[in-house]
Amino acid sequence: MAPSGLKAVVGEKILNGVIKSVKKDGEWKVLIVDHMGMRILSSCCKMSDILAMGVTIVEDIDKRRERICSLEAIYFIAPVQKSVRALINDFKDVGFTYKAAHIFFTEPCPDELFTEIGRSRVAKVAKTLKEVNIAFLPCESQVFSLDDPTSLYSFYGLKPNENKDKMIENLAEQIATLCDTLKEYPAVRYRKGPEENARLAEEVYRRLTAHKADNPSMGEGPDKARTQLLIVDRGFDPISPILHELTFQAMAYDLLDIKQDIYMYQTTGIGDSKEREVLLNEDDDLWVQLRHMHIADVTKKVTELLRTFCESKRMCTDNANIKDLSQMLKKMPQYQKDLSMYSTHLHLAEACMKKFKASLDKLCEVEQDLVMGATPDGEPLKDAMKSIVPVLLNNELEAYDKIRIILLYIFHKKKGITEENLAKLIQHANIQAESNIITNLENLGCNIIAGGRNAGKTLPERKERTGSTYDLSRWTPIIKDVMENVIDDKLDKQQWPFIADPAPINTTQTAVSARFGHWHKNKSPPEYRTGPRLIIFVIGGVAHSEMRSAYEVTRATDGKWEVLIGSSHVLTPTSFLNDLKTLDQVPNPDC
Amino acid sequence: MLERLQTISEDHEDEELEFNGPEYDADKVTLSQQAVIFENSSAIDEVLKEAQFIRKEISLLQLEVERMCMQNERFGTSVRRLTLLKKDCDSIAKGVQQRAEALYVRLQDLGKMSSQLEEKEGPNSAVSRIARTQYDTLTHAFRAVMSDYSKAEEKQKNTCRTRIQRQASIMGTDITDEQLDVLVDKGGEGWAELSQSLQPQAARTCRMAFCEIKSRHEQLVELEARLKEVHELFLQMAVLVEEQGSLLNNIEVHMHRTQEHVDQINDHIKKAVQYKKKNPFLQCCPCLPLVSMLTPLYGSK
Repeated sequence: MAPSGLKAVVGEKILNGVIKSVKKDGEWKVLIVDHMGMRILSSCCKMSDILAMGVTIVEDIDKRRERICSLEAIYFIAPVQKSVRALINDFKDVGFTYKAAHIFFTEPCPDELFTEIGRSRVAKVAKTLKEVNIAFLPCESQVFSLDDPTSLYSFYGLKPNENKDKMIENLAEQIATLCDTLKEYPAVRYRKGPEENARLAEEVYRRLTAHKADNPSMGEGPDKARTQLLIVDRGFDPISPILHELTFQAMAYDLLDIKQDIYMYQTTGIGDSKEREVLLNEDDDLWVQLRHMHIADVTKKVTELLRTFCESKRMCTDNANIKDLSQMLKKMPQYQKDLSMYSTHLHLAEACMKKFKASLDKLCEVEQDLVMGATPDGEPLKDAMKSIVPVLLNNELEAYDKIRIILLYIFHKKKGITEENLAKLIQHANIQAESNIITNLENLGCNIIAGGRNAGKTLPERKERTGSTYDLSRWTPIIKDVMENVIDDKLDKQQWPFIADPAPINTTQTAVSARFGHWHKNKSPPEYRTGPRLIIFVIGGVAHSEMRSAYEVTRATDGKWEVLIGSSHVLTPTSFLNDLKTLDQVPNPDC
Repeated sequence: MLERLQTISEDHEDEELEFNGPEYDADKVTLSQQAVIFENSSAIDEVLKEAQFIRKEISLLQLEVERMCMQNERFGTSVRRLTLLKKDCDSIAKGVQQRAEALYVRLQDLGKMSSQLEEKEGPNSAVSRIARTQYDTLTHAFRAVMSDYSKAEEKQKNTCRTRIQRQASIMGTDITDEQLDVLVDKGGEGWAELSQSLQPQAARTCRMAFCEIKSRHEQLVELEARLKEVHELFLQMAVLVEEQGSLLNNIEVHMHRTQEHVDQINDHIKKAVQYKKKNPFLQCCPCLPLVSMLTPLYGSK
């Protein structure tokens, strides 16, 4: 199944709008990217895609490169000084590095840099020069990232980014390119409270208006006037990024060491046992099916699917399990792709369960009681301290797990806890070295120390949710309530003000014929999705459970709305705690 | 935007001329770029030509596989002229197989070329990386086509099987999956067994069904034989995939494996060209070709 949503939109825009647009039959080209260009490209295109469009080699603009003068070059770079200088350098000396240049910037190029290029010899060899307006990464079909893991520090650190204005402008521009790519002109809203939310929202509005002037088709279409863009801060829901989640994707990224979406495991294939590296992304159909499922259902589902697969291919095995897979592979190597897929997910699920059973089952019970304020039977939690002390005293648990429990206890207390109580807890847990993680959360506006600087701030009231869930998965991210409220038009305008009054919504429905006028629906480009979108940007990082909520809410509207969520980067509990740790440190002057 | 850039460029040139006056302008001299730079282009051209040929062959193979699918559809759903249709199916499928095998050999040759280039020019040189990338993506594309072929043959197999079982049950005999397996494995003998078990029952009235079963049984036997032949090819490809690793197609991983270009030889030639430019003899006496020829020789040591 081809990727849909954001990945498809951006992939199509790059493959057709950039690479194919300069393709000439019989001629190959060199593609040169800087860091941002490479990240964007890699997130939605594969080597085979770009080779099919006439690119024969991909180079890094920041590395010294060999001259290839018989080929023309496509530059896909951000309009920043470093990349522009490198571009100019390629054509500075007498011998040009490439035959000609086709330049594509990820966002609008500032005037000074543009003039610099104009005055250089690049102007003579440039055959194309465009701004494509893609300055974000499409991580998933409904999740985007701005690829900046330092963002939490930039906003909430001890010495927050001195160029905070410039940083907010850059962020706003990136978010505006997202809307531009999707042809949306949303009404911008922000959570009232932290001043960064309002500033970012204003700047986004300014940039959006500038983009709309160049691209009037943004926001046009039936129902598009209802599209909204929400700016929210991480401190709004500090629970979701630290809670132990038991859905496949969230759990795997939390418990296992998965970097850059690459999962490594040991397995036997046709050859001997060796380490396999697998990319967990939407090209893997099975991953898309399983990633939001509860772990208890995952192993069941994969085994069932594998059995059906084996039966349909008439491979006689009694139990289709991991060990038999290499046998099957030898007998029917043409199914290598499918068999590897099953193997990967069986291993992944097994690895998660192993870690869970080792130490986490008791922990998750306590966590869920704390965040729900009640036991699975509905009994309100009476003595929270009693339930967390055995966890804190357990020497087999890691420091970060203990910190997570302490934080969840503090949030359960709603008004924060006293300094002495905090000190006691830290002592029980023996985590003095990491204790600043807890207090640093105050920088995000969370109420940690009772009567401290965030006194009076509380987490929002929650919706009542009925419906059966697993006992260890009762928590829903707070953002899900917000998503549902926006869609029902019930989101409080005082707490979530608009930057500009939204356009009046045309409530009269134009008559739509059932027979005629739908011919275009099969052929419309991927970004032209009728129906409004809700785009949410979280300052400081987005958690996997919140990403999952976007899909769940979208599905619940039966496709009428599409919810997109994103941030500067995607969090895992460990990375979030690591980020928090640095908040009270002075930035390294050398960086 | 390009026009804007070019306007700036022209304005800038006019400015420069005003300030500097007519001088020896590096831009205006078309130097002997040929001698200095086109060292890698013929090797690259060769690789690209071969890659383009293989790429075209793969798309032709894809078309043949699609043709095979369509023909299979017709064979699968029709009730008349089965022998004729079967012959067409078989010939297309055999054609696909032969083409695939020839293409695989050519691909392997490209792989060898790529390894040789890596040894000769180093794995980091542009031409080796171009060759390696082309080889990797072409293998990927070839595998995809072969996967489609395999799926088509599987589908055909299943269609034949269900048809046989259905026709047999119409004639009054039920054949289970396992029995059918055995009958197919036995080939011609299997047909003899099958026809005997069917014969006594209303063979005359169900002549058509009888003929169909015969035809499809033959088809199955041939299919199985073809699949056995191509099994070795699939096995080799699977081994290759395991060795290459599944991250091959990922752009970021691909780029991290590339290192900085160590540009020793070219640096010297650059310097030589600069010396030539600054050569006082050239500037006042352009008719001294001898001197200009000697300088690069000294520079490249």
